[in-house]
Amino acid sequence: MKLSYIAVIIFSIYFLLPLYILVMIAFSPAKYTIESLYPPLTFKSFTLNNLVYAFTQYDFIHPFIKSLSVATLVGILGLVIGIPAGYGLSRLPGKIAYPLLVLLLVTNMVPGIVVAIPISAEFIRLHLFDSIPGLALVQELITLPLATFIMQGTFSAVPREIEYQARIDGASTLSYFKNVLIPTALPGIIAAFLISWMFSWDEFTYAIIISPIHPTLPVEIYVNITRGNELAAVAFSLVFTIPVIILTLFLQKYLKGEYLAGGVKA
Amino acid sequence: MNQNLRYLFFTLPAIIYVGVFAFYPSFDAIYLSFLNNAGQFTLNNYKELFYFNIYGTILNTIIVTVGALLIQLFLGLGIASLLTREFKGKKAFSTLTIIPMGVATIVAAITFSFIFQTTGGYANSFLHLLHLPTINWYSNTYISLLVVMISDSWKNTPIVTLILLSGMMSIPKDLYYAASLDGAGPIRRFVHVTLPNLKKFIAIALIIRGVSEFNIFALPLVLIGYHPALLTTLAYDLYSTTTIYLSSAAAVILLAFISVLIILNIKLGGKR
Repeated sequence: MKLSYIAVIIFSIYFLLPLYILVMIAFSPAKYTIESLYPPLTFKSFTLNNLVYAFTQYDFIHPFIKSLSVATLVGILGLVIGIPAGYGLSRLPGKIAYPLLVLLLVTNMVPGIVVAIPISAEFIRLHLFDSIPGLALVQELITLPLATFIMQGTFSAVPREIEYQARIDGASTLSYFKNVLIPTALPGIIAAFLISWMFSWDEFTYAIIISPIHPTLPVEIYVNITRGNELAAVAFSLVFTIPVIILTLFLQKYLKGEYLAGGVKA
Repeated sequence: MNQNLRYLFFTLPAIIYVGVFAFYPSFDAIYLSFLNNAGQFTLNNYKELFYFNIYGTILNTIIVTVGALLIQLFLGLGIASLLTREFKGKKAFSTLTIIPMGVATIVAAITFSFIFQTTGGYANSFLHLLHLPTINWYSNTYISLLVVMISDSWKNTPIVTLILLSGMMSIPKDLYYAASLDGAGPIRRFVHVTLPNLKKFIAIALIIRGVSEFNIFALPLVLIGYHPALLTTLAYDLYSTTTIYLSSAAAVILLAFISVLIILNIKLGGKR
Protein backbone atom coordinates (compact mmCIF):
# COMPACT_ATOMS: atom_id res chain seq x y z
CA MET A 1 0.00 0.00 0.00
CA LYS A 2 2.86 2.38 0.83
CA LEU A 3 4.29 1.60 -2.58
CA SER A 4 1.15 2.81 -4.34
CA TYR A 5 1.39 6.13 -2.51
CA ILE A 6 4.95 6.56 -3.74
CA ALA A 7 3.71 5.76 -7.27
CA VAL A 8 0.85 8.25 -6.92
CA ILE A 9 3.29 10.96 -5.85
CA ILE A 10 5.72 10.22 -8.70
CA PHE A 11 2.94 10.25 -11.30
CA SER A 12 1.46 13.45 -9.85
CA ILE A 13 4.82 15.19 -10.15
CA TYR A 14 5.14 13.87 -13.71
CA PHE A 15 1.78 15.33 -14.72
CA LEU A 16 2.21 18.68 -12.98
CA LEU A 17 5.89 19.46 -13.61
CA PRO A 18 5.55 20.82 -17.18
CA LEU A 19 2.68 23.09 -16.12
CA TYR A 20 4.69 24.27 -13.12
CA ILE A 21 7.56 25.18 -15.45
CA LEU A 22 5.22 27.01 -17.82
CA VAL A 23 3.78 29.07 -14.95
CA MET A 24 7.27 29.74 -13.60
CA ILE A 25 8.51 31.06 -16.97
CA ALA A 26 5.40 33.21 -17.36
CA PHE A 27 5.69 34.88 -13.96
CA SER A 28 9.45 35.12 -13.40
CA PRO A 29 11.88 37.71 -14.77
CA ALA A 30 13.59 36.30 -17.87
CA LYS A 31 17.02 36.35 -16.20
CA TYR A 32 15.84 33.52 -13.89
CA THR A 33 14.29 31.47 -16.67
CA ILE A 34 15.03 31.53 -20.39
CA GLU A 35 18.14 33.71 -20.11
CA SER A 36 19.94 31.67 -17.50
CA LEU A 37 22.32 28.79 -18.26
CA TYR A 38 20.96 26.55 -15.51
CA PRO A 39 17.55 28.00 -14.68
CA PRO A 40 16.58 27.51 -11.02
CA LEU A 41 13.86 24.91 -10.40
CA THR A 42 12.09 27.11 -7.87
CA PHE A 43 10.50 30.56 -8.05
CA LYS A 44 13.11 33.25 -7.41
CA SER A 45 11.06 36.35 -8.08
CA PHE A 46 7.57 37.23 -9.21
CA THR A 47 6.67 39.60 -12.02
CA LEU A 48 3.72 40.44 -14.24
CA ASN A 49 5.91 42.28 -16.74
CA ASN A 50 6.17 39.33 -19.14
CA LEU A 51 2.42 39.15 -19.49
CA VAL A 52 1.93 42.90 -19.77
CA TYR A 53 4.70 43.08 -22.38
CA ALA A 54 3.31 40.13 -24.39
CA PHE A 55 -0.23 41.44 -24.52
CA THR A 56 0.74 45.02 -25.34
CA GLN A 57 3.50 44.30 -27.87
CA TYR A 58 2.10 41.31 -29.77
CA ASP A 59 -1.21 40.73 -31.45
CA PHE A 60 -3.26 38.50 -29.19
CA ILE A 61 -6.75 39.71 -29.91
CA HIS A 62 -7.05 38.82 -33.61
CA PRO A 63 -5.87 35.22 -33.28
CA PHE A 64 -8.00 34.93 -30.14
CA ILE A 65 -11.13 36.06 -31.98
CA LYS A 66 -10.32 33.79 -34.91
CA SER A 67 -9.87 30.77 -32.62
CA LEU A 68 -13.07 31.62 -30.78
CA SER A 69 -15.12 32.03 -33.97
CA VAL A 70 -13.77 28.90 -35.63
CA ALA A 71 -14.29 26.78 -32.50
CA THR A 72 -17.83 28.04 -32.02
CA LEU A 73 -18.67 27.40 -35.65
CA VAL A 74 -17.18 23.90 -35.41
CA GLY A 75 -19.34 23.24 -32.35
CA ILE A 76 -22.54 24.45 -34.06
CA LEU A 77 -21.79 22.58 -37.28
CA GLY A 78 -21.15 19.46 -35.22
CA LEU A 79 -24.63 19.73 -33.72
CA VAL A 80 -26.33 20.51 -37.03
CA ILE A 81 -24.86 17.43 -38.73
CA GLY A 82 -24.24 15.32 -35.64
CA ILE A 83 -27.69 15.44 -33.99
CA PRO A 84 -29.54 13.88 -36.95
CA ALA A 85 -26.67 11.47 -37.59
CA GLY A 86 -26.55 10.41 -33.94
CA TYR A 87 -30.32 9.99 -33.89
CA GLY A 88 -30.37 7.94 -37.10
CA LEU A 89 -27.54 5.72 -35.89
CA SER A 90 -29.16 5.14 -32.51
CA ARG A 91 -32.36 3.90 -34.20
CA LEU A 92 -30.82 1.88 -37.04
CA PRO A 93 -30.21 -1.83 -36.45
CA GLY A 94 -26.60 -2.69 -35.58
CA LYS A 95 -26.05 -4.35 -38.92
CA ILE A 96 -26.39 -0.96 -40.68
CA ALA A 97 -25.26 1.33 -37.87
CA TYR A 98 -21.98 -0.46 -37.23
CA PRO A 99 -20.47 -0.01 -40.73
CA LEU A 100 -21.51 3.64 -40.64
CA LEU A 101 -19.77 4.13 -37.30
CA VAL A 102 -16.67 2.46 -38.73
CA LEU A 103 -16.85 4.85 -41.68
CA LEU A 104 -16.82 7.80 -39.28
CA LEU A 105 -14.00 6.27 -37.27
CA VAL A 106 -11.95 5.77 -40.41
CA THR A 107 -12.28 9.39 -41.49
CA ASN A 108 -10.99 10.35 -38.11
CA MET A 109 -7.85 8.38 -38.77
CA VAL A 110 -7.08 9.95 -42.16
CA PRO A 111 -3.91 11.98 -41.61
CA GLY A 112 -4.58 15.70 -41.27
CA ILE A 113 -1.73 16.59 -43.58
CA VAL A 114 -3.03 14.31 -46.37
CA VAL A 115 -6.46 15.96 -46.31
CA ALA A 116 -5.22 19.48 -45.77
CA ILE A 117 -2.81 19.76 -48.71
CA PRO A 118 -5.35 19.15 -51.53
CA ILE A 119 -8.07 21.04 -49.66
CA SER A 120 -5.85 24.11 -49.39
CA ALA A 121 -5.52 24.08 -53.20
CA GLU A 122 -9.29 23.74 -53.66
CA PHE A 123 -9.99 26.42 -51.07
CA ILE A 124 -7.79 28.97 -52.82
CA ARG A 125 -9.97 28.45 -55.88
CA LEU A 126 -13.20 28.69 -53.82
CA HIS A 127 -12.03 31.73 -51.80
CA LEU A 128 -12.36 29.72 -48.61
CA PHE A 129 -8.60 29.70 -47.94
CA ASP A 130 -7.63 31.49 -44.71
CA SER A 131 -11.31 32.08 -43.88
CA ILE A 132 -13.19 31.22 -40.71
CA PRO A 133 -15.86 29.00 -42.38
CA GLY A 134 -13.20 27.23 -44.44
CA LEU A 135 -11.12 26.23 -41.44
CA ALA A 136 -14.24 25.27 -39.47
CA LEU A 137 -15.42 22.98 -42.27
CA VAL A 138 -12.11 21.13 -42.29
CA GLN A 139 -11.70 20.93 -38.51
CA GLU A 140 -15.18 19.46 -38.33
CA LEU A 141 -13.56 16.29 -39.65
CA ILE A 142 -11.95 15.69 -36.24
CA THR A 143 -14.95 16.61 -34.15
CA LEU A 144 -17.92 15.28 -36.14
CA PRO A 145 -17.22 11.58 -35.46
CA LEU A 146 -16.71 12.37 -31.79
CA ALA A 147 -19.91 14.46 -31.57
CA THR A 148 -21.87 11.78 -33.43
CA PHE A 149 -20.60 9.04 -31.11
CA ILE A 150 -21.62 11.02 -28.04
CA MET A 151 -25.01 11.88 -29.51
CA GLN A 152 -25.65 8.30 -30.57
CA GLY A 153 -24.89 7.15 -27.03
CA THR A 154 -27.18 9.79 -25.53
CA PHE A 155 -30.09 9.14 -27.90
CA SER A 156 -29.82 5.38 -27.39
CA ALA A 157 -30.67 6.02 -23.76
CA VAL A 158 -33.96 7.75 -24.73
CA PRO A 159 -36.61 5.00 -24.86
CA ARG A 160 -38.31 4.47 -28.21
CA GLU A 161 -41.68 4.21 -26.46
CA ILE A 162 -41.56 7.97 -25.91
CA GLU A 163 -41.21 8.47 -29.65
CA TYR A 164 -44.15 6.14 -30.39
CA GLN A 165 -46.18 7.94 -27.74
CA ALA A 166 -45.41 11.32 -29.31
CA ARG A 167 -46.37 9.98 -32.73
CA ILE A 168 -49.70 8.71 -31.42
CA ASP A 169 -50.29 12.14 -29.94
CA GLY A 170 -49.79 13.52 -33.41
CA ALA A 171 -46.31 15.08 -33.13
CA SER A 172 -44.40 15.64 -36.36
CA THR A 173 -40.74 14.60 -36.56
CA LEU A 174 -39.70 18.22 -36.12
CA SER A 175 -41.83 18.81 -33.05
CA TYR A 176 -40.74 15.46 -31.58
CA PHE A 177 -37.14 16.61 -31.97
CA LYS A 178 -37.82 20.05 -30.57
CA ASN A 179 -40.08 19.13 -27.68
CA VAL A 180 -38.98 15.67 -26.63
CA LEU A 181 -35.70 14.33 -27.96
CA ILE A 182 -33.42 17.36 -27.69
CA PRO A 183 -34.58 18.48 -24.22
CA THR A 184 -34.16 14.92 -22.88
CA ALA A 185 -30.71 14.54 -24.36
CA LEU A 186 -29.54 18.07 -23.55
CA PRO A 187 -26.57 17.16 -21.27
CA GLY A 188 -25.11 14.93 -23.97
CA ILE A 189 -25.66 17.58 -26.63
CA ILE A 190 -23.94 20.24 -24.54
CA ALA A 191 -21.04 17.87 -23.89
CA ALA A 192 -20.75 17.16 -27.62
CA PHE A 193 -20.71 20.89 -28.37
CA LEU A 194 -18.08 21.66 -25.74
CA ILE A 195 -15.84 18.74 -26.71
CA SER A 196 -16.03 19.82 -30.38
CA TRP A 197 -15.24 23.36 -29.32
CA MET A 198 -12.28 22.15 -27.30
CA PHE A 199 -10.77 20.05 -30.08
CA SER A 200 -11.06 22.93 -32.55
CA TRP A 201 -9.54 25.34 -30.02
CA ASP A 202 -6.47 23.07 -29.77
CA GLU A 203 -6.21 22.08 -33.41
CA PHE A 204 -2.91 22.86 -35.14
CA THR A 205 -2.29 20.83 -38.32
CA TYR A 206 -5.28 22.05 -40.33
CA ALA A 207 -4.98 25.56 -38.93
CA ILE A 208 -1.39 26.04 -40.08
CA ILE A 209 -2.12 24.77 -43.61
CA ILE A 210 -5.62 26.14 -44.23
CA SER A 211 -5.29 29.43 -42.37
CA PRO A 212 -1.64 30.56 -42.23
CA ILE A 213 -2.06 34.29 -42.94
CA HIS A 214 -4.61 35.15 -40.27
CA PRO A 215 -3.71 32.41 -37.82
CA THR A 216 -5.59 30.91 -34.90
CA LEU A 217 -4.04 31.09 -31.44
CA PRO A 218 -2.09 27.78 -31.60
CA VAL A 219 -0.52 28.85 -34.90
CA GLU A 220 0.15 32.34 -33.53
CA ILE A 221 1.94 30.77 -30.56
CA TYR A 222 4.03 28.68 -32.96
CA VAL A 223 4.84 31.75 -35.08
CA ASN A 224 6.01 33.61 -31.97
CA ILE A 225 8.25 30.71 -30.96
CA THR A 226 9.87 30.56 -34.39
CA ARG A 227 10.50 34.32 -34.31
CA GLY A 228 12.13 34.06 -30.90
CA ASN A 229 9.35 35.85 -28.99
CA GLU A 230 9.46 33.13 -26.38
CA LEU A 231 7.89 35.10 -23.55
CA ALA A 232 4.94 36.12 -25.72
CA ALA A 233 4.43 32.47 -26.67
CA VAL A 234 4.50 31.47 -22.99
CA ALA A 235 2.07 34.20 -21.96
CA PHE A 236 -0.35 33.33 -24.77
CA SER A 237 -0.01 29.62 -23.98
CA LEU A 238 -1.02 30.20 -20.40
CA VAL A 239 -4.13 32.21 -21.25
CA PHE A 240 -4.92 29.72 -23.99
CA THR A 241 -4.62 26.67 -21.72
CA ILE A 242 -6.52 27.67 -18.59
CA PRO A 243 -10.07 27.61 -20.07
CA VAL A 244 -9.42 24.24 -21.70
CA ILE A 245 -8.14 22.62 -18.52
CA ILE A 246 -11.26 23.84 -16.72
CA LEU A 247 -13.45 22.46 -19.53
CA THR A 248 -11.60 19.14 -19.49
CA LEU A 249 -12.18 18.69 -15.77
CA PHE A 250 -15.80 19.73 -16.20
CA LEU A 251 -16.31 17.22 -19.02
CA GLN A 252 -14.38 14.44 -17.31
CA LYS A 253 -17.28 12.01 -17.28
CA TYR A 254 -17.78 12.36 -21.03
CA LEU A 255 -14.13 11.77 -21.82
CA LYS A 256 -14.48 8.01 -21.87
CA GLY A 257 -12.25 5.48 -23.54
CA GLU A 258 -14.90 4.47 -26.05
CA TYR A 259 -15.65 8.01 -27.25
CA LEU A 260 -12.03 9.00 -27.40
CA ALA A 261 -11.31 5.94 -29.44
CA GLY A 262 -13.16 7.70 -32.23
CA GLY A 263 -12.00 11.20 -31.74
CA VAL A 264 -8.39 11.72 -30.89
CA LYS A 265 -5.73 13.07 -33.18
CA ALA A 266 -2.15 14.03 -32.50
CA MET B 1 -37.15 -1.53 -44.02
CA ASN B 2 -39.02 1.62 -44.95
CA GLN B 3 -38.46 2.79 -41.39
CA ASN B 4 -34.73 2.06 -41.64
CA LEU B 5 -34.53 4.08 -44.82
CA ARG B 6 -35.98 7.02 -42.91
CA TYR B 7 -33.30 6.70 -40.20
CA LEU B 8 -30.62 6.32 -42.85
CA PHE B 9 -31.81 9.60 -44.30
CA PHE B 10 -30.90 11.33 -41.00
CA THR B 11 -27.30 10.15 -41.27
CA LEU B 12 -27.02 11.35 -44.87
CA PRO B 13 -25.58 14.83 -44.14
CA ALA B 14 -22.79 13.27 -42.07
CA ILE B 15 -22.00 10.74 -44.78
CA ILE B 16 -21.95 13.41 -47.48
CA TYR B 17 -19.78 15.64 -45.32
CA VAL B 18 -17.27 12.87 -44.70
CA GLY B 19 -17.22 12.02 -48.41
CA VAL B 20 -16.50 15.60 -49.42
CA PHE B 21 -13.97 16.43 -46.73
CA ALA B 22 -12.18 13.14 -46.09
CA PHE B 23 -12.49 10.75 -49.02
CA TYR B 24 -12.39 13.19 -51.90
CA PRO B 25 -9.24 14.99 -50.63
CA SER B 26 -7.53 11.66 -49.94
CA PHE B 27 -8.05 10.54 -53.53
CA ASP B 28 -7.16 14.02 -54.72
CA ALA B 29 -3.84 13.76 -52.84
CA ILE B 30 -3.09 10.44 -54.55
CA TYR B 31 -3.97 11.97 -57.92
CA LEU B 32 -1.87 15.09 -57.33
CA SER B 33 1.11 12.99 -56.27
CA PHE B 34 1.35 11.60 -59.84
CA LEU B 35 1.32 15.01 -61.56
CA ASN B 36 4.10 17.40 -62.46
CA ASN B 37 3.98 21.18 -62.74
CA ALA B 38 2.63 20.92 -66.30
CA GLY B 39 -0.21 18.68 -65.14
CA GLN B 40 1.18 15.56 -66.83
CA PHE B 41 1.35 12.08 -65.32
CA THR B 42 4.74 11.34 -63.78
CA LEU B 43 6.46 9.13 -61.22
CA ASN B 44 9.14 11.74 -60.62
CA ASN B 45 7.63 12.99 -57.38
CA TYR B 46 8.19 9.61 -55.77
CA LYS B 47 11.69 9.36 -57.23
CA GLU B 48 12.52 12.80 -55.91
CA LEU B 49 11.51 11.76 -52.39
CA PHE B 50 14.63 9.59 -52.23
CA TYR B 51 16.63 12.78 -52.52
CA PHE B 52 14.87 13.87 -49.31
CA ASN B 53 15.90 10.65 -47.51
CA ILE B 54 12.43 9.13 -47.48
CA TYR B 55 13.65 5.81 -46.03
CA GLY B 56 15.23 7.55 -43.07
CA THR B 57 12.05 9.57 -42.59
CA ILE B 58 9.89 6.44 -42.56
CA LEU B 59 12.28 4.82 -40.12
CA ASN B 60 12.19 7.86 -37.82
CA THR B 61 8.39 7.83 -37.86
CA ILE B 62 8.32 4.14 -36.97
CA ILE B 63 10.87 4.64 -34.16
CA VAL B 64 8.83 7.48 -32.65
CA THR B 65 5.60 5.47 -32.96
CA VAL B 66 6.96 2.32 -31.34
CA GLY B 67 8.89 4.17 -28.65
CA ALA B 68 6.03 6.47 -27.68
CA LEU B 69 3.57 3.56 -27.62
CA LEU B 70 5.83 1.59 -25.28
CA ILE B 71 6.21 4.53 -22.89
CA GLN B 72 2.48 5.28 -22.92
CA LEU B 73 1.50 1.65 -22.45
CA PHE B 74 3.89 1.24 -19.53
CA LEU B 75 2.73 4.43 -17.80
CA GLY B 76 -0.92 3.84 -18.70
CA LEU B 77 -0.88 0.34 -17.19
CA GLY B 78 0.72 1.68 -14.02
CA ILE B 79 -1.70 4.57 -13.59
CA ALA B 80 -4.78 2.54 -14.54
CA SER B 81 -3.91 -0.17 -12.00
CA LEU B 82 -3.48 2.49 -9.34
CA LEU B 83 -6.91 3.90 -10.23
CA THR B 84 -8.61 0.52 -9.79
CA ARG B 85 -7.58 0.52 -6.13
CA GLU B 86 -9.15 2.46 -3.29
CA PHE B 87 -6.93 4.98 -1.55
CA LYS B 88 -7.16 8.37 0.08
CA GLY B 89 -7.01 11.14 -2.50
CA LYS B 90 -7.98 8.84 -5.36
CA LYS B 91 -10.43 11.34 -6.77
CA ALA B 92 -7.87 14.14 -6.79
CA PHE B 93 -5.34 11.82 -8.43
CA SER B 94 -7.73 10.71 -11.16
CA THR B 95 -8.51 14.37 -11.92
CA LEU B 96 -4.80 15.12 -12.05
CA THR B 97 -4.09 12.33 -14.50
CA ILE B 98 -6.50 13.81 -17.04
CA ILE B 99 -5.02 17.34 -16.99
CA PRO B 100 -2.56 16.90 -19.91
CA MET B 101 -5.56 16.24 -22.16
CA GLY B 102 -6.62 19.83 -21.58
CA VAL B 103 -3.22 21.18 -22.53
CA ALA B 104 -2.99 21.96 -26.24
CA THR B 105 -0.37 20.01 -28.17
CA ILE B 106 1.35 23.24 -29.14
CA VAL B 107 1.56 24.34 -25.50
CA ALA B 108 2.94 20.96 -24.46
CA ALA B 109 5.48 21.24 -27.28
CA ILE B 110 6.63 24.69 -26.18
CA THR B 111 6.86 23.69 -22.53
CA PHE B 112 8.95 20.65 -23.37
CA SER B 113 11.15 22.73 -25.64
CA PHE B 114 12.04 24.78 -22.53
CA ILE B 115 12.67 21.60 -20.57
CA PHE B 116 14.97 20.07 -23.19
CA GLN B 117 16.89 23.13 -24.30
CA THR B 118 20.61 22.52 -24.69
CA THR B 119 21.52 25.73 -22.89
CA GLY B 120 19.21 26.95 -20.20
CA GLY B 121 16.97 23.89 -20.18
CA TYR B 122 15.26 22.60 -17.07
CA ALA B 123 16.25 18.97 -17.67
CA ASN B 124 19.91 19.98 -17.75
CA SER B 125 19.34 22.26 -14.79
CA PHE B 126 18.17 19.23 -12.84
CA LEU B 127 21.14 17.13 -13.95
CA HIS B 128 23.48 19.99 -13.01
CA LEU B 129 21.88 20.18 -9.56
CA LEU B 130 22.68 16.48 -9.04
CA HIS B 131 26.25 17.11 -10.29
CA LEU B 132 25.64 14.86 -13.28
CA PRO B 133 26.96 15.67 -16.76
CA THR B 134 24.47 17.64 -18.84
CA ILE B 135 23.17 16.29 -22.15
CA ASN B 136 22.86 17.85 -25.58
CA TRP B 137 19.31 16.74 -26.34
CA TYR B 138 19.69 17.30 -30.04
CA SER B 139 23.17 15.87 -30.59
CA ASN B 140 21.94 12.92 -32.66
CA THR B 141 18.79 11.58 -34.29
CA TYR B 142 17.97 9.09 -31.57
CA ILE B 143 18.15 11.51 -28.64
CA SER B 144 16.05 14.00 -30.64
CA LEU B 145 13.45 11.34 -31.30
CA LEU B 146 13.52 10.37 -27.63
CA VAL B 147 12.71 13.96 -26.69
CA VAL B 148 9.70 13.81 -29.03
CA MET B 149 8.57 10.47 -27.54
CA ILE B 150 8.81 11.74 -23.95
CA SER B 151 6.94 14.97 -24.72
CA ASP B 152 4.24 13.17 -26.67
CA SER B 153 3.81 10.60 -23.93
CA TRP B 154 3.15 13.28 -21.36
CA LYS B 155 0.31 14.65 -23.47
CA ASN B 156 -1.21 11.31 -24.49
CA THR B 157 -0.74 8.93 -21.55
CA PRO B 158 -4.17 10.02 -20.16
CA ILE B 159 -5.96 8.66 -23.25
CA VAL B 160 -4.20 5.31 -22.99
CA THR B 161 -4.96 5.28 -19.26
CA LEU B 162 -8.68 5.91 -19.90
CA ILE B 163 -8.91 3.08 -22.44
CA LEU B 164 -7.00 0.63 -20.22
CA LEU B 165 -8.99 1.69 -17.17
CA SER B 166 -12.31 0.95 -18.88
CA GLY B 167 -10.84 -2.46 -19.72
CA MET B 168 -9.72 -3.13 -16.14
CA MET B 169 -13.14 -2.15 -14.81
CA SER B 170 -14.69 -4.84 -17.00
CA ILE B 171 -12.65 -7.65 -15.41
CA PRO B 172 -14.82 -9.55 -12.89
CA LYS B 173 -13.63 -9.06 -9.30
CA ASP B 174 -14.20 -12.76 -8.61
CA LEU B 175 -11.18 -13.62 -10.72
CA TYR B 176 -8.97 -11.63 -8.35
CA TYR B 177 -10.50 -13.20 -5.25
CA ALA B 178 -9.99 -16.66 -6.71
CA ALA B 179 -6.39 -15.86 -7.60
CA SER B 180 -5.76 -14.48 -4.08
CA LEU B 181 -7.19 -17.65 -2.50
CA ASP B 182 -4.81 -19.67 -4.62
CA GLY B 183 -2.00 -17.62 -3.12
CA ALA B 184 -1.17 -15.27 -6.02
CA GLY B 185 0.52 -12.02 -4.98
CA PRO B 186 -0.18 -8.64 -6.62
CA ILE B 187 2.41 -9.14 -9.36
CA ARG B 188 1.22 -12.63 -10.29
CA ARG B 189 -2.38 -11.42 -10.22
CA PHE B 190 -1.41 -8.66 -12.63
CA VAL B 191 0.43 -11.03 -14.98
CA HIS B 192 -2.05 -13.91 -14.87
CA VAL B 193 -5.40 -12.15 -14.41
CA THR B 194 -5.16 -8.50 -15.50
CA LEU B 195 -2.97 -8.80 -18.59
CA PRO B 196 -4.76 -11.71 -20.34
CA ASN B 197 -8.16 -10.10 -19.77
CA LEU B 198 -6.88 -6.76 -20.93
CA LYS B 199 -5.41 -8.00 -24.21
CA LYS B 200 -8.22 -6.64 -26.38
CA PHE B 201 -8.12 -3.19 -24.75
CA ILE B 202 -4.34 -3.03 -25.06
CA ALA B 203 -4.70 -3.82 -28.77
CA ILE B 204 -7.33 -1.09 -29.23
CA ALA B 205 -5.21 1.46 -27.38
CA LEU B 206 -2.14 0.53 -29.39
CA ILE B 207 -3.86 0.87 -32.75
CA ILE B 208 -5.69 4.10 -31.94
CA ARG B 209 -2.58 5.66 -30.51
CA GLY B 210 -0.45 4.13 -33.26
CA VAL B 211 -2.46 5.97 -35.90
CA SER B 212 -2.16 9.26 -33.99
CA GLU B 213 1.52 8.64 -33.40
CA PHE B 214 2.14 8.25 -37.14
CA ASN B 215 0.34 11.58 -37.62
CA ILE B 216 2.31 13.39 -34.94
CA PHE B 217 3.06 16.87 -36.26
CA ALA B 218 3.03 19.90 -33.95
CA LEU B 219 5.33 18.37 -31.33
CA PRO B 220 8.19 17.39 -33.66
CA LEU B 221 7.77 20.65 -35.60
CA VAL B 222 8.41 22.71 -32.45
CA LEU B 223 10.90 20.40 -30.74
CA ILE B 224 13.14 19.25 -33.59
CA GLY B 225 11.94 21.13 -36.68
CA TYR B 226 12.72 19.21 -39.85
CA HIS B 227 15.90 17.52 -38.56
CA PRO B 228 15.41 14.65 -38.22
CA ALA B 229 12.27 14.69 -40.34
CA LEU B 230 9.15 12.59 -39.79
CA LEU B 231 6.65 11.80 -42.54
CA THR B 232 4.35 14.65 -41.49
CA THR B 233 7.06 17.26 -41.04
CA LEU B 234 8.63 16.25 -44.37
CA ALA B 235 5.26 16.63 -46.13
CA TYR B 236 4.73 20.04 -44.53
CA ASP B 237 8.29 21.14 -45.30
CA LEU B 238 7.80 20.16 -48.95
CA TYR B 239 4.38 21.86 -48.99
CA SER B 240 5.82 25.16 -47.82
CA THR B 241 9.05 25.07 -49.83
CA THR B 242 8.43 23.07 -53.04
CA THR B 243 5.33 21.99 -54.97
CA ILE B 244 1.97 20.64 -53.90
CA TYR B 245 2.69 17.59 -56.09
CA LEU B 246 5.87 16.62 -54.29
CA SER B 247 4.36 17.20 -50.85
CA SER B 248 1.34 15.13 -51.88
CA ALA B 249 3.67 12.24 -52.69
CA ALA B 250 5.10 12.40 -49.15
CA ALA B 251 1.57 12.63 -47.74
CA VAL B 252 0.48 9.60 -49.78
CA ILE B 253 3.29 7.50 -48.30
CA LEU B 254 1.98 8.48 -44.87
CA LEU B 255 -1.53 7.56 -46.01
CA ALA B 256 -0.31 4.13 -47.14
CA PHE B 257 1.02 3.34 -43.66
CA ILE B 258 -2.12 4.67 -41.98
CA SER B 259 -4.32 2.58 -44.31
CA VAL B 260 -2.64 -0.58 -43.06
CA LEU B 261 -3.36 0.48 -39.49
CA ILE B 262 -6.97 1.34 -40.38
CA ILE B 263 -7.52 -2.09 -41.94
CA LEU B 264 -6.03 -3.68 -38.82
CA ASN B 265 -8.38 -1.60 -36.70
CA ILE B 266 -11.47 -2.62 -38.66
CA LYS B 267 -10.44 -6.28 -38.50
CA LEU B 268 -9.97 -5.96 -34.76
CA GLY B 269 -13.13 -3.88 -34.39
CA GLY B 270 -15.17 -6.70 -35.89
CA LYS B 271 -14.30 -8.83 -32.89
CA ARG B 272 -15.06 -6.11 -30.34
